[in-house]
Amino acid sequence: MNLKAVITGIQAWFDDRFGLSQIFKFLREKEVPQHKHTIWYYTGSAILLFFGIQVITGFMLVFYYKPTLEEANKSIARIMTEAPLGWIIRSVHFWSASFMIAIVFIHLFSIWITKSYRKPREATWMSGVFLLVISLAFGFTGYLLPWDALSLSATKVGTDIPRSIPVVGIWITKLLRGGEDVTGDTLTRFFGFHVCILPVFIFILLGFHIYFIQKQGMSLPVDVENRNEDVNSLPFWPNFVYREMIVWLLLVGILVTIAIFLPPSLDKAADLMAPAPEGIKPEWYFLFLFQILKIFPAKILFINGDTLAVLLFAVAFILFFFLPFIDNKPAERKGKIITVIAYVVIVFAVVMTVWSLL
Amino acid sequence: MKLKHSLFSRRQFLNGLLGGWLGALAASFLYPMVKFIFPPYREPDKVVLSFSDYQDMEPNSVRNFSWGTKPGLIKKNDNGTYFAFVAVCTHLDCNVVYLTEQRKFFCACHEGWYDENGLNIGGPPPRPLRQLIVEIEGENIIVKREGVE
Repeated sequence: MNLKAVITGIQAWFDDRFGLSQIFKFLREKEVPQHKHTIWYYTGSAILLFFGIQVITGFMLVFYYKPTLEEANKSIARIMTEAPLGWIIRSVHFWSASFMIAIVFIHLFSIWITKSYRKPREATWMSGVFLLVISLAFGFTGYLLPWDALSLSATKVGTDIPRSIPVVGIWITKLLRGGEDVTGDTLTRFFGFHVCILPVFIFILLGFHIYFIQKQGMSLPVDVENRNEDVNSLPFWPNFVYREMIVWLLLVGILVTIAIFLPPSLDKAADLMAPAPEGIKPEWYFLFLFQILKIFPAKILFINGDTLAVLLFAVAFILFFFLPFIDNKPAERKGKIITVIAYVVIVFAVVMTVWSLL
Repeated sequence: MKLKHSLFSRRQFLNGLLGGWLGALAASFLYPMVKFIFPPYREPDKVVLSFSDYQDMEPNSVRNFSWGTKPGLIKKNDNGTYFAFVAVCTHLDCNVVYLTEQRKFFCACHEGWYDENGLNIGGPPPRPLRQLIVEIEGENIIVKREGVE
């Protein structure tokens, strides 16, 4: 019996049980269309890259981190100073989070502007909106874990925002905080969200999101589809995967370089009774929201300003979630308006963010 | 099978019974779970502080105390009386600070301002700072919320 026969035998054994040959066949036949918007196809796998880095560095950090009032800040100090190469691991986790969120936004707006959510990809868009929310929730809960003055104030504000929603708001605030106020219980709870609850949901939703994309194939932008010409395609395996690997290598290089030269700082442990420090800022991806809350007046026509801001935001979010059904005639005038709104949202968010930094 | 004057069939009735029973069973499991995730909270009726810790305060200055899990500030006024505030901003719950020279309370989170009596005078806060009642009884300062004996 020669070696080749043995390998073939093992392969057959696994194939009978796992049915992998169908998946391999699918991947060999999968094609990626080539056109002037192909570059946006790379954003999805770039998100997966940074997500993978978050999972691995997260596993490592959790070996040392202690999610309690007394120990949280100290244990991060220990990661930064005593754990071998701990400072790089934390720095990579910190920066990779920002990179991931940044590319999530690019991914989102590229899909909005090329209208890739149109029929039959509505469910892909909606699962993507949930993934966006979970990604932001990861960022928000992770921000508290170092337990310093900045992260405490940001969490007090962030968890107080739902309070202005009528009826259910107060319960959301209590659920998030584990009580009336932000305390050590909040820290432990946020840790639970960050390493246990959110990961379960993100893996389930990622599974759906990626399944939908494989089921429907890569979407063509409206203008390419309307031209009715044959579109060139690249085989996914190995051609497109090799190109993605080049992008991944570049991104990892940039990430590690920044992580080494700009590690995140650690302020002294938060004091629950101390006044909020001057110049508090949330993470950059919440700055636009922070600025809106800051400029919203206390009262608008007898309505509490925050309540109005939160309700407006909720309405905008619902419209955003159902965008594929609202923009159901993408090639017509309606579609153009929706595209313009995408640019308006981008400009608005950038202006608010810059304003908050002034 | 459906009887002549019946509103629903025997099958529908049994399905409804089974469904209702399953729903009640689910609710009996969910109730303790929901109960569990919201810890009980009771705001203190009053806190008793030792007067000697606050006696030597300068007029127009503040000193901390703990109002349950929230920070509190005892303020000595120019006429020698004391005020007590829950030192959290009424906008989005950040802890406020008293700026002695400007005679104002300030919240750094979204730049909210209150005057020396806790009245909201600038920025996003929708309401005045919450004030507590101060009583000096012998050796003690008693800080209590309104309506408490």
